[in-house]
Amino acid sequence: MTTTSTTSTPRSPEDEPIHSPAGSPAGPPVPFDPEAAAALAAMGGFPPITPDLIPVLRQGLPGQEPPTDADLTRDGAFEVEERTVPGPAGAPEVRLLTCRPTRAGSPAGTTSSAPAGDSRTASGAVYWIHGGGMIVGDNRGGVDEALDWAQELGLAVISVDYRLAPETPHPGPVEDCYAGLVWSAEHAGELGIDPQRIVVAGASAGGGLAAAVALMARDRRGPALAGQLLIYPMIDDRNDSPSAVQMADSGTWGRTANDTGWNALLGSARGSADVSAYAAPARASDLSGLPPAFIDVASAENFRDEDVAYASRIWQAGGIAELHVWPGGFHGFDVFAPHAGISREARAARLRWLHRLLEA
Amino acid sequence: MRDLTVRLAALDPEAGAALRVVSYFDELAAAHAGVHAIVRGAAVLTGHPAGLVDTRRHLRVRVDAEGTTRPDTTAHPAPSTGADADADADAEAKAKAGRGAAEAPGPAAACAPTPADPAWLSAPVDQGATLWLERTGTARVVDAVVLERAAALARAVLERTRPLPRGTGAAGEQDGALLDVLTDPAAPLDARRRAARALGLDPAGPVRAIALADGRVHVLPAHQAEEHPEHPVHPVSFTQRAGIGPAVPAVEAPTSLAAARRALRLSAEGTPTDPGARTVHAEHVQALLLLAETVSAGTPPIADVAALDRAAAAAPWMLTTLHALVSTSTGRAAATQLAIHHSTLQERLASAERLLGWNLHTPAGQHRLHLAMALRRLHRNST
Repeated sequence: MTTTSTTSTPRSPEDEPIHSPAGSPAGPPVPFDPEAAAALAAMGGFPPITPDLIPVLRQGLPGQEPPTDADLTRDGAFEVEERTVPGPAGAPEVRLLTCRPTRAGSPAGTTSSAPAGDSRTASGAVYWIHGGGMIVGDNRGGVDEALDWAQELGLAVISVDYRLAPETPHPGPVEDCYAGLVWSAEHAGELGIDPQRIVVAGASAGGGLAAAVALMARDRRGPALAGQLLIYPMIDDRNDSPSAVQMADSGTWGRTANDTGWNALLGSARGSADVSAYAAPARASDLSGLPPAFIDVASAENFRDEDVAYASRIWQAGGIAELHVWPGGFHGFDVFAPHAGISREARAARLRWLHRLLEA
Repeated sequence: MRDLTVRLAALDPEAGAALRVVSYFDELAAAHAGVHAIVRGAAVLTGHPAGLVDTRRHLRVRVDAEGTTRPDTTAHPAPSTGADADADADAEAKAKAGRGAAEAPGPAAACAPTPADPAWLSAPVDQGATLWLERTGTARVVDAVVLERAAALARAVLERTRPLPRGTGAAGEQDGALLDVLTDPAAPLDARRRAARALGLDPAGPVRAIALADGRVHVLPAHQAEEHPEHPVHPVSFTQRAGIGPAVPAVEAPTSLAAARRALRLSAEGTPTDPGARTVHAEHVQALLLLAETVSAGTPPIADVAALDRAAAAAPWMLTTLHALVSTSTGRAAATQLAIHHSTLQERLASAERLLGWNLHTPAGQHRLHLAMALRRLHRNST
């Protein structure tokens, strides 16, 4: 063993077996699913995302352009609006994108002909929080899948445009998300939604923010959420679980990228004892009293262990959670390899959970 | 939905479509992906539905442009046979697939099936299999590279995962050693499953065992055994007595073969000394199969069978006449089958009744005769 620690960092797997803080060794990287690997190879792979790449990422990925208003209406199934609502105290207003089911687009039997605000006929709603590592994206990102659910179940989609790090560090982004949720629940009548059937949902950083918003709603006695749908959520600023070490910078959102995102959000406080559970929900000491959770993650990504642990801790606290771990996926496998078998099953599982949650 | 290569081109304009396609299939190969993933890749990379049909392995895969598996509603493509047709199909495939796929065909393409719509872009996978894109017109570079790479990978995967026995595709025999395993009730289920695959049979798919008089055995997909017993792609020509077992999942071939062997014992040469059907389906004679189990080489014939043998020795027309009686519904039909006058038939039956010792004009008497004839075959064909 080397005694010169200057060249030996915890990130050098060659030197010694990798150990997580809990002491469990991590083996070689989990192999990717064949179709996910093929799509990744065809894309040419992703570079480790360092802070200097943030401006490049914000230009948007060509080929992954955000949906237009016309795309969002789904041939008249949704009425699409952008509105500005009050932000957190002392902060700017928050933009919300609302896609509300029209009569033509509603599944049979859910059409509302009653005045808006009648909770017996109001639709449920997905409160969508986009991903992007806390550093990129806007409220059109990922809305497509939320609209798939909404179209199937007759729901409204409300997507929040929160301020991004590093320009806006914690708690700005999550407070924006919470303010938009509170406004939506308080204006349920105006939106034609049922405040008892709001599900917060998000992917990656959006999944982490959704989990945080659920904690805030519990702690502040805010809106009573019907559920939280957390798609490979980014929830632990420490970025040192066995899966984070094991998968390193493979796939799309590797360990370096995750460092970049958390550093942007938390600055020097990152990794310290002072990090709030509203920034990194894995830090929450109490996971009881939360709405039913759906959590999915892939086995070959950084977030595997923190997300599995979050589900386990919800169960240990006596809560309700459904956990799916998709074998061989990298972070965002369902977006970058949408045709892959595991991607199809992952999307189907989310929809099935929503069916059970909202139609029970 | 735009095809994946277009979206990827936007992500990385530097890399050519061909390079991305090659990377995609190289990665599938490295990860030992299956045929479905390959066809799905062909569809999503080109943005068109894609399919693969393998006539020898009884495999059909079809996916839509987004990679969702769809039932193949296209017509069953027929293998082309004539030499001229081969040359045409070959040239056509080359022309359509463009330069990328032009190297693949060669002699191996001689019997590859054509897609349901011959105008679709396609490439042969091997002698009995074809990959297609449901797209007509001039092939883009990406189409040609996808067809070439996907077909080559599909060929490698099929050879590895579903090797065909030697001679399959010609009019060859099925491999004897594999058949022994597949039809051995004592063989482990896994061994039978592997043998089924190696014979090109779907382990869960319905098959029928066929037992031939010379001791040979075949196990064929049920529809082949039923509908196309003379089809040149399988070796059963039925020039000899045969018993055909019931349709069962391939791994249960031993039970089909056991029934086929008993059915074989109920078959006849179809000659004056052994009249009767040369091919017997076990499912049509289920009660007699039970009888077959009770008669072996050492079993003494019952008196009715002894009487039948005595009667057969007394007149050359005896057995054919009695067979006509039990295999037709009226005396008139029996006379017609024997090409004799009705009164001649009556004279023969009167003679037969004296030799046998029972009435042949009642249903019970005819039934007794029928059973005696079946037992006589079981004795003749006992082992």
